[in-house]
Amino acid sequence: MILQKRLLTELRELREDPEIFSLEPEDGNLLRLRGYLQGPKASPYEGGRLALELVLSPSYPLVPPSVRFRTPVFHPNVNFRTGEICLDILQSAWSPAWSLASCLRAIQLLLTEPEPSSPLNCDAGNLLRCGDKRGFWSMARMYTQLHAMGRE
Amino acid sequence: MNAPEGLELEGGPKPGELAMESGSQAPKKRFEVKQWNAVAAWSWDLRVDNCAICRNHIMDLCLECQADPQNARASECVVAWGVCNHAFHSHCINKWLETRNVCPLDNRPWQKLKEGR
Repeated sequence: MILQKRLLTELRELREDPEIFSLEPEDGNLLRLRGYLQGPKASPYEGGRLALELVLSPSYPLVPPSVRFRTPVFHPNVNFRTGEICLDILQSAWSPAWSLASCLRAIQLLLTEPEPSSPLNCDAGNLLRCGDKRGFWSMARMYTQLHAMGRE
Repeated sequence: MNAPEGLELEGGPKPGELAMESGSQAPKKRFEVKQWNAVAAWSWDLRVDNCAICRNHIMDLCLECQADPQNARASECVVAWGVCNHAFHSHCINKWLETRNVCPLDNRPWQKLKEGR
């Protein structure tokens, strides 16, 4: 298990940028991390604080972390009910050169750049595929205000 | 302020005068080295510093061997270079190659160039 020392280094790096995201072990368990991601600017999630959960396999970093949102997020590539995220680098395109911080950055980028052709949320995907950007935006904004803003 | 012994300041003999004096007595020392400090710097002649898989320095043991340096495995903990010029600990890259046969840094098929220290 090459995990522990690398993980501790990664967590230390993450703490350097607490404005954008935070990630801490849950009950001191390094394999279960919980944290927050700041909704990116110029997206319907701006101003929201999106809760995340990362579960690591003891073989990390040879296998990707499994990441899900704990805040309901209306986005084509996020399962609205389970929070599962469809992102290639968290699946087949994973490389051990990625880190927890780069995963979080990739997720943030996915929030600004949805990929409606492989949706986990068909409603969100369909709105974007029909070109109803405004409809998608207002739905996503509503859920952000409802679930990710104004309370801890 | 007094001039330190052996160091001639203004008013002392100029080089030409010194030569004339040297006939009768040993030339006066202009200064004397009391102490000197040499400073040297070094670095690895390498393009990569850390193994991207375990994040230990490439010239150190991999994380697993570092945790158990007495193990016989640790003596075989060498560096593997790909044709892409990326380097990893051979222990680390071999484990990753079981998952996908690509270089973790450029995602191109992994071809080993050499292995060793």
